[in-house]
Amino acid sequence: MKLNRREALAGAAALAASLGASGAYAADEIVVGAVFPMSGSTAQTGVDARNAIETALAIVNAKTDLDLPLAKDAGLTGLGGNKIKVVYADHQGDPQKGRAEAERLITQDKVTAIIGCYHSSVSATVSQTCERYAVPFMCADSSSPSLNKRGLKFFFRASAHDEMFSAAMFDLMDMLRKQGQKIETLALFHEDTIFGTDSANVQTKLAAARGYKIVADVKYRANSPSLTSEVQQLKSGNADVLMPSSYTTDGILLVRTMAELGYKPKAIIAQAAGFSEKALYDAVGDHLEGAITRGSFSLDLATKRPMVGKVNDLFKKTAGKDLNDNTSREFTAMITLADAINRAASTDGEKIRAALAATDISGDKTIMPWKRIKFDETGQNNDCDPVLLQYVGKKFVTIFPESGAIAKPLWPMKG
Amino acid sequence: MTAEAVIQSLASGLLMGLIYGLVAAGLALIFGLMDVVNFAHGEFLMTSMYAAFGLYLAFALDPLASAPFVAAAMFVFGAVVYLGLVRFAMSASANAGMVQIFATFGLAITMRGLAQLLFTPDYRSIPHSWLGGKTLKVAGIFLPAPQLAGALVSLAAFGALWLVINKTDFGRALEATREDAGAVALVGIDKKRIFALGWGLGGALVGLAGAVLATFFYIYPDVGASFALIAYVTVALGGFGSVFGAFAAGILVGVVEAGTAFILPASLKYLGIYALYLLVVVLRPRGLFGSL
Repeated sequence: MKLNRREALAGAAALAASLGASGAYAADEIVVGAVFPMSGSTAQTGVDARNAIETALAIVNAKTDLDLPLAKDAGLTGLGGNKIKVVYADHQGDPQKGRAEAERLITQDKVTAIIGCYHSSVSATVSQTCERYAVPFMCADSSSPSLNKRGLKFFFRASAHDEMFSAAMFDLMDMLRKQGQKIETLALFHEDTIFGTDSANVQTKLAAARGYKIVADVKYRANSPSLTSEVQQLKSGNADVLMPSSYTTDGILLVRTMAELGYKPKAIIAQAAGFSEKALYDAVGDHLEGAITRGSFSLDLATKRPMVGKVNDLFKKTAGKDLNDNTSREFTAMITLADAINRAASTDGEKIRAALAATDISGDKTIMPWKRIKFDETGQNNDCDPVLLQYVGKKFVTIFPESGAIAKPLWPMKG
Repeated sequence: MTAEAVIQSLASGLLMGLIYGLVAAGLALIFGLMDVVNFAHGEFLMTSMYAAFGLYLAFALDPLASAPFVAAAMFVFGAVVYLGLVRFAMSASANAGMVQIFATFGLAITMRGLAQLLFTPDYRSIPHSWLGGKTLKVAGIFLPAPQLAGALVSLAAFGALWLVINKTDFGRALEATREDAGAVALVGIDKKRIFALGWGLGGALVGLAGAVLATFFYIYPDVGASFALIAYVTVALGGFGSVFGAFAAGILVGVVEAGTAFILPASLKYLGIYALYLLVVVLRPRGLFGSL
């Protein structure tokens, strides 16, 4: 029944989309497609992504005094001042719907590039479709490390993947160990699509290499009505560090169920996703004092780079919340893509691809704590050092790497 | 794995199972009464949860205190849905079954869309309630207070439902209409009125379930989907047409879910439920307690 219902919803959405998509855009508009979950269980992320992308467009399409690529001029100077317009499509967290939507955007709306898709599983199918049509795919916020290893020419990802993120987590644990903390055992808790599975695989490998023992490895079904049995397994493992890879819904239920079953982990180091979302901390933040999550972004940076605060204010005006790990990456991906289209001075897929491959934006021209944006031959940016953030006193502070740290890690967490 | 872990699993399964039963009760009632599957059942649940959340925001009313109000509002809503939509779908001259499916299905999509439009897709939850975060610990077994309260509400609701169906004129009229909707007219029972009240009662039950869930579950426009699927399985398992079959099947689903997660990897925990469901469909197609 669920299948029928979902499929009928998709049908309705496709119908609505085909009615709406007349393909009639102004001649001076450069059309980019954005494929995100605009409905379904992660719709909130999609809506936030849209706000992030629109914030980027406002900066690209108008004259501002921000120190970002394309901010100083109105529109794309390389294309006679033309403006970028983004058309949004909804994948509902379903890889097959993502593929169909990408195909529609490319063939009907004639988009010059596609940006997306939050869920790694959807980015996998969408990027494959883009490859087939020679349309560049800018992976904004999917972190599965397998995505850039499929030999795709049109795949680009400015932000880090879960191998890099997880390595930072283990670097932190190694550092704490050296300082005398007892960290021996880990518990993995991950959802059952590409994101959770790949993240757990990487963490398992790193644990073996660095001498940590995994005492519980719980793979769970996303959006379950109950996580009681799962939490019990975590509890009986009672590891030194709990490492969840979860989307928002499951993250909220996880923390709540842990509290109900009297399980207080000594520390939590999360693979972001749900754990960067305000909704999760609004719901269960009381239990998360001292929880650590990986991130690509930190508002701390605003103290060193005022532009970060200005961009955050712009975003907050429409979205009603601060930039986070996800929205900052979506914003940066859009700026990076716009910069490449501008340099390509063309809407041709091959030319934009070449321009993307030649991208070299220094870190201080972004809102991220990165060294630079420069893609390797697999389309991955390797100069985007992840940060680890700790939730202390109702906000996030950067605790790792030490170079960018605002505070020392609080260990164990208070919960 | 210790004996304690086994008992904890069973206890958690039992509590969740009673709540699943409560969620499915309204669906079973309506289906039993008039052979209409309400495909918007999950959205009824979602609406109830938002109602409980709204009352919390507006009057700082705890979901357990607001449950009667939510149930009353959902009673009206259920009856209105029957009078304003299902009634017409049922009188379709051709293929009434399909028309009903599309009507409730369309209602589901509309409700979900409206919820996203009005409430945004943000995840809401009630951070502090009377029972939120409280846990009863009995001999090393944790019984979360919100679920415990939910289970008690479920027991009370099914008890009351039993009384209504077996001891009141309305209940007898309900049963009679279920058995032969044509013949009851001869003894002066207004079929439409009974149907409307049936939908109202179904709505009230799901309203209770929604208020109970709001104490410990997150709320967003799609939240119904997670529970609706289990509710459909519960109704089919318990036997179409049997409200108390839904009660027993709800418990069974909860316990089997917990048990499967205990033996198999947690990502496969629905395997047990669906295997059981298939088994029942093959061996006893009318469901465990089905009378049809």
